[in-house]
Amino acid sequence: MVEVTPLLVKAAWVTIDISVRAIVFGFLVASALVFFRSVKFTPVRWFSRAYVSVVRGTPYFVQLLLIFYGGPTIGLDLDPFTCGVVVGAFNIGAYMSEAIRGAIESVDKGQSEASRSLGLGRLATMVNVVLPQAAGLMIRSIGVLAIVLIKNSSLVSIISVVELTYQAQRLIGSTYKPLEIFAVSALMYIVIIYAVMGIVELAYRRTTRFNAL
Amino acid sequence: MSTNRQTETPMVEITDVHKRFGNLEVLKGINLTVPLGKIISIIGPSGSGKSTLLRSVNHLEVIDSGTITLDGVAVNRPDIKGLAFERHINHIRQNMGMVFQHFNLFPHLSTLDNVTLAPRKLKKMDKKIARELGMELLDRVGLADKADVFPAWLSGGQKQRVAIARALAMQPKVMLFDEATSALDPELVEEVNQVMQSLAKDHMTMLIVTHEMGFARDVSSWAMFMDGGVVVEENTPDKLFTAPDQERTQNFLRKHLGSNL
Amino acid sequence: MTFDFSPVLTYLPTLIQGIGITLLIGVIVALFSVAGGLLVAVISIYTNKVISWPLRAFIWLFMTTPLLLQLYFLYFGLGELILIPAIVVGILGLGFHYMAYNADIFIATIRSVSDGQYEASRSLGFGHGATLFNIILPQALIRAVPQLGNNLILMVKDTSVLSAIGVAELVYASQYAISVSFRPFEFFIVIALIYYAINILMELGQAWLERQTAFRR
Repeated sequence: MVEVTPLLVKAAWVTIDISVRAIVFGFLVASALVFFRSVKFTPVRWFSRAYVSVVRGTPYFVQLLLIFYGGPTIGLDLDPFTCGVVVGAFNIGAYMSEAIRGAIESVDKGQSEASRSLGLGRLATMVNVVLPQAAGLMIRSIGVLAIVLIKNSSLVSIISVVELTYQAQRLIGSTYKPLEIFAVSALMYIVIIYAVMGIVELAYRRTTRFNAL
Repeated sequence: MSTNRQTETPMVEITDVHKRFGNLEVLKGINLTVPLGKIISIIGPSGSGKSTLLRSVNHLEVIDSGTITLDGVAVNRPDIKGLAFERHINHIRQNMGMVFQHFNLFPHLSTLDNVTLAPRKLKKMDKKIARELGMELLDRVGLADKADVFPAWLSGGQKQRVAIARALAMQPKVMLFDEATSALDPELVEEVNQVMQSLAKDHMTMLIVTHEMGFARDVSSWAMFMDGGVVVEENTPDKLFTAPDQERTQNFLRKHLGSNL
Repeated sequence: MTFDFSPVLTYLPTLIQGIGITLLIGVIVALFSVAGGLLVAVISIYTNKVISWPLRAFIWLFMTTPLLLQLYFLYFGLGELILIPAIVVGILGLGFHYMAYNADIFIATIRSVSDGQYEASRSLGFGHGATLFNIILPQALIRAVPQLGNNLILMVKDTSVLSAIGVAELVYASQYAISVSFRPFEFFIVIALIYYAINILMELGQAWLERQTAFRR
C-alpha cells in the first residue's frame, strides 16, 4: 500500500492536468459553437447543430480511437497526452455548448427586451444583462459535465497515457491486490470530483448573490 | 332528534378520542356517533382538529387513546400488531369511502381504472363486471363520457367527482369527506355538492368535514362545531347555524356566514 | 490523404457480428440495470438503515468513480477468484454501473410521488405492498422515463468501453480487421456512424415513450 501510493498520486496529477486542459479548451470550443448557432449564414448554424448531434451521438471512446489511430491518415499525428486533451475538449465542447445555450435561454425574454429598449446593443445586452443571470445555471451544468469528463479521462489509459486508471490497472496486474489498489485510486477520483463540486458551488454562490434566496 | 338518537343504529362511534402531535394535543376527548343513513357535519376553524378526527376514523392518523368503531368493529386495535393488524385495517378501510381535499386521483390510471382498481384487485371482481360497475358510478357522478380519459385532463370539480365514484366502488358503509370542496374554484363547488346531495338522498351514511356552511346546514342531520381539539357545541343544523348557544360558535359563524346568519 | 473503405466492406460480416454482440449486451444490461435499479431504490427507501446505508454507499461509489476503473477491478478482482468469460464481467460491470445511476433516479421519482397517493390507496383498503406495486411504483416508473432513457442511451455508447477488457463487441471485433488492413480511420468512422445510427433510433424511441406517458403524469 505504502509503496504504490506515490505512483498513484503522481498519476492522479496527470488525470487532473489532462482534465483541466480539456475543460478550458472545451469551453472555447463550446463558445465557438454557441456563437456559430447565432450566425446569420445558415450553413454555419447547420454545421454547429450537426457537430453537436454527431459528437453527442457517438461514444467518446470511439472518438478517442478514431483520432489517435486514424488521425495520421488525415495528417493529424498527436502524442497520446495531446490527443487526450484535444478529443476531451472537442467532446465536452459539444455538451457544454448545449448547457450554455440552455442557461442563456432560461433567462426571461423580458430581460433582453428591457435592455434593448434602453438602447443597449445585442452584444452589450448579452454581456451586461443576460450572461450575468445565466451564469449560475451555466456554472452548475458545466460542473456536472466536468465531472463526467474527469471520469471519462480514464479512457485515455487505452492509448497509454499514464494517468490514474492506467496506473491502477498496471499495479493491479503486478501486485495482485485489486481491492487495495481500487480503494486508493477510487478515493483519489472521489477527492478530485469533490474538489470540483466545491469549486463549482463557490462559483455558483458568487454568481447568484443577487438572488433573494 | 337528540332523544331518538339512542334508538338509531350507530355506524361510526367515536368515544373519548385523544391525539397529540408532539406537545400539541389536537384531539382532547372527542365523542361522536354517526347513525346509519345520517349525515353528520363537522365545522370549525383550521387547526381545530376536525380533519385529524376524520383521518383518525380511516386510521390515516393513529389515535393515542379512546375507541373508534365502524359498524361495531373497532378500527384501532392496539392489541394486534404487524401483518394481522395490516389485514384488519385493510378490511376496515374497504368498508369506508374516503374523499380527500386534493382528490388524490391516481394519475397513471384512466378515470375508469381509478374507479375499478379497488374492486378488481381487492374483491377480485371480473374485469367486465368491474367495467359495468365503474361506468354506472361514473354515470352517477355525471362523467360517463370521461371514462377513458386520464385525470390530468379533468377539471378540479370533475376530479373530485371521480374521487367520489372511486370511493363508492367498494360499496362503503360510510363515506368520509375531508374538505372535499376546499381546493376547488368557487364555480366548481356546486357540481361536487350536487353529487354529495344525491348520495344524501340515497341515505348514504356520511361524515363531512367542511367549510361550506350553507351546504352543511342544508344536507346534514346533525352538526358539530369543533375548536381547539374539543367539541364546543353540537346540535341539529337548524339550531346550530341559526341560534348557537356558545359564544365561540357565534363568533365563528359570524365570520364565516356574514350577513347570511 | 486517400481513403479506402473497401477493407470495411471485406470485413462487414465481422462488424455485423460485433453489432449483434453490442446490441445483445445493451439489451441485457438495460433489463438488468433498470430492474436492479428499481429493486435497489425500493429496498433502500423502505428498509432500515442497516440495509439501506450500504446500498446508498454502493450507489455513491459507482457514481463517483470511472466505469473503466470498475471494470478493471471486477475483471482482475473476480478473475483472481474464479475463471469467468470477459463478456460476463463486462455485463456485470456495465450492469452494476448503470444500476447505480438508475437507482439514483428511482429514489428521486419514488419520493416525488405525493403522500396523498399513498393515503388514497390505503384508504381504499390496499395494503402497503399492494399500494407500492399498484400506485407508487407505476408512477415512479413513468416519471423516470426521460432520465432513464438518457441513461440507457449513454449505456449503449459505453458498451464500447468493454473492448478494454476484451469483450468482443463492435470496437473489439474490428481490432483484428484494423490491424490487418491498417485502415483505422475508415473503420472508426464507420463504427462511429453505426453508433450514431443506434443513438438516433434510441432517441426516437425515447421521444415516443415520453409522448406515450406524458399525460399519465
